[in-house]
Amino acid sequence: MLLEASGLSKSFGGVTAIADLDFRVPEGLVYAVIGPNGAGKTTLFNLLSGVYRPDEGRLAFADRDLVGRSSHEIARLGLSRTFQNLQVFFNMSVLENVMVGAHARAKSGLFGALLRLPRMRREERAIGRWAQEALDFCGLGELAGRSAGALPYGALKRLEIARALAAEPRLLLMDEPAAGLNDTETLEMRGLIGRIRDRGITVLLVEHNMGLVMQVSDRILVIDYGSRLAEGTPDEVRADPQVVAAYLGGEVHYAVE
Amino acid sequence: MKRLRGWLLLAGLLVALPILFPDNYYVNVVGAAAALHAILTVGLNLLMGYAGQISLGHAAFFGLGAYTSAILTTRCGWDPWLALGAGLVLTGAVAYVIARPVLRLKGHYLAMATLGFGIIVHILLVQTGSLTGGPDGIGEIPPLSLFGWTIDTDVRWYWVITGTLLAVVLLALNLMDSRTGRALRALHGAAVAASAMGIDTAQAKTAVFVLAALTAGLAGSLFAHQQAFVSPDSFNFFVSIELVTMVVLGGMASTYGAILGAVILTFLPELLVVFEDYEVVIFGAILMLMMIFMPQGIAGGLRALMRWPRARTARTARLTQDAA
Amino acid sequence: MSDQILQFLLTGITLGSTYALVALGFAIIYNASDVVNLAQGEFVMLGAMSAIALSAGAGGLPLPAAILGAVLATLVVGLMLQRFAIAPAKGIDVVGTIIITIGASIFLRGLALLLWGKDIKALPHFSGDNPIRLGEVTLMPQSLWVMGGTAVLVLAVHLFFNRTLVGKAILACSCNRTAAALVGIDVGRMLLVAYGLSALLGAMAGVLVAPITYTSYDAGVMLGLKGFAAAVLGGLGNPMGAVAGGLILGLVESLAAGLVSSGYKDAIAFIILLLVLFIRPSGLFGRASAERV
Repeated sequence: MLLEASGLSKSFGGVTAIADLDFRVPEGLVYAVIGPNGAGKTTLFNLLSGVYRPDEGRLAFADRDLVGRSSHEIARLGLSRTFQNLQVFFNMSVLENVMVGAHARAKSGLFGALLRLPRMRREERAIGRWAQEALDFCGLGELAGRSAGALPYGALKRLEIARALAAEPRLLLMDEPAAGLNDTETLEMRGLIGRIRDRGITVLLVEHNMGLVMQVSDRILVIDYGSRLAEGTPDEVRADPQVVAAYLGGEVHYAVE
Repeated sequence: MKRLRGWLLLAGLLVALPILFPDNYYVNVVGAAAALHAILTVGLNLLMGYAGQISLGHAAFFGLGAYTSAILTTRCGWDPWLALGAGLVLTGAVAYVIARPVLRLKGHYLAMATLGFGIIVHILLVQTGSLTGGPDGIGEIPPLSLFGWTIDTDVRWYWVITGTLLAVVLLALNLMDSRTGRALRALHGAAVAASAMGIDTAQAKTAVFVLAALTAGLAGSLFAHQQAFVSPDSFNFFVSIELVTMVVLGGMASTYGAILGAVILTFLPELLVVFEDYEVVIFGAILMLMMIFMPQGIAGGLRALMRWPRARTARTARLTQDAA
Repeated sequence: MSDQILQFLLTGITLGSTYALVALGFAIIYNASDVVNLAQGEFVMLGAMSAIALSAGAGGLPLPAAILGAVLATLVVGLMLQRFAIAPAKGIDVVGTIIITIGASIFLRGLALLLWGKDIKALPHFSGDNPIRLGEVTLMPQSLWVMGGTAVLVLAVHLFFNRTLVGKAILACSCNRTAAALVGIDVGRMLLVAYGLSALLGAMAGVLVAPITYTSYDAGVMLGLKGFAAAVLGGLGNPMGAVAGGLILGLVESLAAGLVSSGYKDAIAFIILLLVLFIRPSGLFGRASAERV
């Protein structure tokens, strides 16, 4: 198991966002988290990436405890993410954005930077190569020199993915990657997610686009009111009456006998 | 080397000026003063322009460097270069200590915390008379010497200060074009994402704060020996604001912009000597108009002009991000 | 000894009242527009200097008229600040607005310098300058004016925000500007009211205290900064907290100056500011808020 959560809970003031949540993510899959709005999906991501600290419960990534670790420590363990509301570095070029993604893979610090030591220069070339490779993988290779601010929305979403990939993570958290994309772009996104999984990177996906989720996921976790409602393969989840009820509200009566 | 094109141009310009205009007051004296301010603004720009933090108390570090040099050379008979080194150590240490608690703050709170710090240092400089000479300051500071040359003429100070400026600019350019530099700019661009990429934002902020303080301390020591006199008036709240104005005017996130801002605001009072009474009003007006009409400064304004056709997509994307 | 302390306390409350009014002005503008107006101290200075200018000399107005004129003039300055310096700078970040208000404060100071020079000036005491004796302690009648005036103004502001429609509309703008606009509140006008009100409070503070502390073109700087410290102490965004912060700051400063050393008295406000920012940025009465990602 790459990621394990048990008894996870988080509240804000009087509002419970996550309540006693359990799940396990095996390595090498695309694992989707779905649920109605307000079910706690983004909170879950923020808990995983260290933005919030859980009130209770265990959270382990590759057998390392995540609770209490800061965001940057968690990133260095091999967990990377994209954001629901873009967090692109608009003050840098496309290539530089992705080079930041590779930050944790390099070592040269202040001294090397100020004096441009040979080791620093070698590392810079390597970082540049890794970044270009990630951009090519996401179909943005030609745009490396452009300012990030010049890119259209769909490309920016892929830029965030390239940036996260440059870190060579074991687990990639994707927060609504298809939000705001049209049908063609969504199709491309589906392909991209599949290729990421084929590279050996485990993908944890939060997404509202059910078509995308059903087609690309290997397993799905359904949460509602911060707790686990169902978990299984897409077919199992689709047929679960509780899931249907949560989304459609109440029992569904089938007209066909 | 393409990377250093700008730097070579700057170096060429700085070397050419005193040769083309020998014994010129505006080059040797005002130019040197502008270069000294530029050392300060280049450092401050690393903090404000690139890393996106604010400091309204930067003059405090300028003062700490200056007074350390002054006190150690006049009261304790230290060699000026050792005193300068001590000044750097002190400035760096103070910056390191206050960096953590201060840089946890954001926005108004950060601005006011740095402002408070600057004022407290100034008050200390005024009040600890036995150490600092109080409001009257310290005089008769011995001159610096370099390789046997005593630096005691305007021309020699011009070379020393511009040489230091070129070194500082080179370091700044190197820094910004590196993994550490990108980490700093990422911190400004989207701090949450920077953390998610493995950047220890608290450490990065502290590092750039200390760097900015060190450049200010260095400038302070040079200033003390150049003027042979220091008093608290040179390191008060207004000086801090002047430095911020220079950085903003020139354009944040541009080392050359910071230099430009320093040059303009050092030469302006000289050229407007006639309007001395109006100096304060004009300064206030510049600040307001700058931020209202050209918040990206002159450098930013130039950049925007060059990028005009593609500006719209950036604005839309940014709106989506900022609205979050 | 206790008489001495009582004396310091009285001085402290007088001082604190001025800080309270300045801090209140900060809080009102911050509440309405999320702007820290570093020109707040200049409102105090302008109020005092204009009153002195209007009442001075052979052709001078009688004191009440001069005061009224000064307060109105400063009010107009406050409105102009919002309309011409803050409002046009849309979409600017926090650093930007701070720099604009700093620019405004420098500009106003420069203006005062041009108009009235560098001299230190005084306003006549409202009801004479015979000190009132209470045992070993003396009190200037003007101090009573300061304390009383502050109390009346604070009460008026409190009633304004809680009982009048305009006041509530301004509160609505500070909670959620878009929602306020959608229910028909003219946000631009409410902002003008907020700035005008802050300017008025500042000017009144200046006029009330000028007979005691005198004033000059740069008297507003420290006052503004300390007023900000007081507002943060009380909890930025809480008007009554700001008042409390001002009073507390005045008392602490006065006691420290009297009992410890008067040279460092200016440092007190900023040490308090730093302590609050490091330990509890939401201040004494502010709400601690978590940042939403």
